[in-house]
Amino acid sequence: MDMLINPTVVELSRAQFALTALYHFLFVPLTLGLSFILATMESVYVITGKPIYKEMTQFWGKLFGINFALGVATGLTMEFEFGTNWSMYSHFVGDIFGTPLAIEGLMAFFMESTFVGVMFFGWDRLSARAHLVVTYLVALGSNLSALWILIANGFMQDPRGGTFDPNTMRMQFSSFVDLIFNPDAQAKFVHTSIAGFVTGSMFVMAISAYYLLTNKRKDIALRSFRIATVFGAISTIGVITLGDALGYIDAHAQPTKLAAMEAIWTTDPHPVSAAWNLIAFPSRSEQKNYFEISIPYVLTPLLTHSEDTVIPGIIQLEQEAKPRIANGIKAMVALKAYNEDHGNTAALATFKKYENDMGYGFLAKEFAPDQDLAKVNASNLPSVLDKTAKATIPNVWVEFWSFRLMVAAGFFMLALFAFAAYYSLKNEIEKHPLLLKVALWSLPLPWVACEFGWITAENGRQPWTVYGWLPTFVSASSHSVGYMIFSLIGFTLLYSSFIAVELYLMFKYARLGPQEQHHHQPEPQTAGGGMAGQPAFAKPSLSPKH
Amino acid sequence: MKKLFTFLGLAAVMVLSLFLAVVTGDYGPWYFAWLVGTTMIVMIAAAGAVMFDKQDEELAKKGIRER
Repeated sequence: MDMLINPTVVELSRAQFALTALYHFLFVPLTLGLSFILATMESVYVITGKPIYKEMTQFWGKLFGINFALGVATGLTMEFEFGTNWSMYSHFVGDIFGTPLAIEGLMAFFMESTFVGVMFFGWDRLSARAHLVVTYLVALGSNLSALWILIANGFMQDPRGGTFDPNTMRMQFSSFVDLIFNPDAQAKFVHTSIAGFVTGSMFVMAISAYYLLTNKRKDIALRSFRIATVFGAISTIGVITLGDALGYIDAHAQPTKLAAMEAIWTTDPHPVSAAWNLIAFPSRSEQKNYFEISIPYVLTPLLTHSEDTVIPGIIQLEQEAKPRIANGIKAMVALKAYNEDHGNTAALATFKKYENDMGYGFLAKEFAPDQDLAKVNASNLPSVLDKTAKATIPNVWVEFWSFRLMVAAGFFMLALFAFAAYYSLKNEIEKHPLLLKVALWSLPLPWVACEFGWITAENGRQPWTVYGWLPTFVSASSHSVGYMIFSLIGFTLLYSSFIAVELYLMFKYARLGPQEQHHHQPEPQTAGGGMAGQPAFAKPSLSPKH
Repeated sequence: MKKLFTFLGLAAVMVLSLFLAVVTGDYGPWYFAWLVGTTMIVMIAAAGAVMFDKQDEELAKKGIRER
């Protein structure tokens, strides 16, 4: 830990993780949401016995299958990336972080993948009800898989359930219950899962709108449109309210993220009239907003759900960080002394006294003379404190605008789903071609919102990998710059090819759509109904050659 | 005997559901909200589809259209 890792390698490691994570999350939300929409369609099939709902489930299920396969493939690399590119991080929190990650892997690759196979190939081998149970298990499995990775992420945002052991120099479990019931993990899971529901709804709604505009299989399109709009309207209300809850929780756990998200530089001592920045152009160097459009009386109730809670600005938060940095330096110096001599009880006692600020000492290492905290003295301490305090604040510009783009996309989708559901429920959607066109062209929006949501969450956590405990710049592996550039280019090419394959297959099968069926099957004995004996993918209604 | 097993199976599901509701309600209110909310979203969306069929039948009775 004495030598810091090359900053270029750290930045390249960050870029590579951001790239692979953002690519991966192009596939994940559709899996989370579309799986439950399939379950909804199949539920209607089992309840009513109408074969059209089975046909709908199979058609949308095929698109789900394409996305699912690529989602799993892109997720694999990330599991290993923690070890290859973030070895110090893995060493420091592996005992805690590895557990939910391993359970996530089991959920994804055993439960989810097993039942996906049964769902696709079990139409003729299972009763309708048994197949429905399988479809629900796929939906539950994919969302539970997301739950565990978000529990792991929750620990990074608000570390609970672990304590640092100075003997092993790593964090170790103190409470599994605290880890899984971490408020940040809970709120993040519901927000992310329901964002997936919105994505699935938009996917089905937009493609159904395309079929309605092109007069293709209106029987399936109208029913799919109805399910998607109702599903989407409720989900969008949910994702917005749950996002607000997540922001409220983060406000307590990560005040620096909240201040950056709202571009609040100075603390307003009058919380009632405090203004909320609708638009701002933040300048980090000058610690002010060049231009802002603000609405008074909105900030405090919006962020704190109260009228009298003072929200600290970035400048105040930097000042508040300084005593913690000073304590952290003492903790780190004592920790080093204890590691050199485990009989040094005085050093251990000093470390224990300042243990909770240890991460801030880590953070100061970058600005210490020769990156050695033992060389910090009374004369250079103010300079180290100033530089480290500024480093505790994430990139305000990125945080402010990524958050706003996510929220803007969310509210637009709420309005769209509301109108679409209203006209669908009135059975008048075909009279509104403009709305259908807007629904079609809004297809990318949930992905835009999801990606900017993750940028908000992860950029806002900076400069930490584990908030308050482990800075990002000491978390990476000590690879060479050339290796990182090579692997970054490799991942970019590989993942871009995955995206190209996904888009090609999705456009191909979505444009093709479900084919006309002029026969009506009787009440089926198995989930496969009148087409029993044929593989699910070979059914006439789904064949790409029709 | 089959009815007895069905009854026992459903009783087990009920007990498990109550246990999950109590545990998640106490320790993980957001997880509980997800369980209830997801069930609600699925049920309402399914009801929307059933409503569509009903509306379609009524239109067919009036001789307007059938999809």
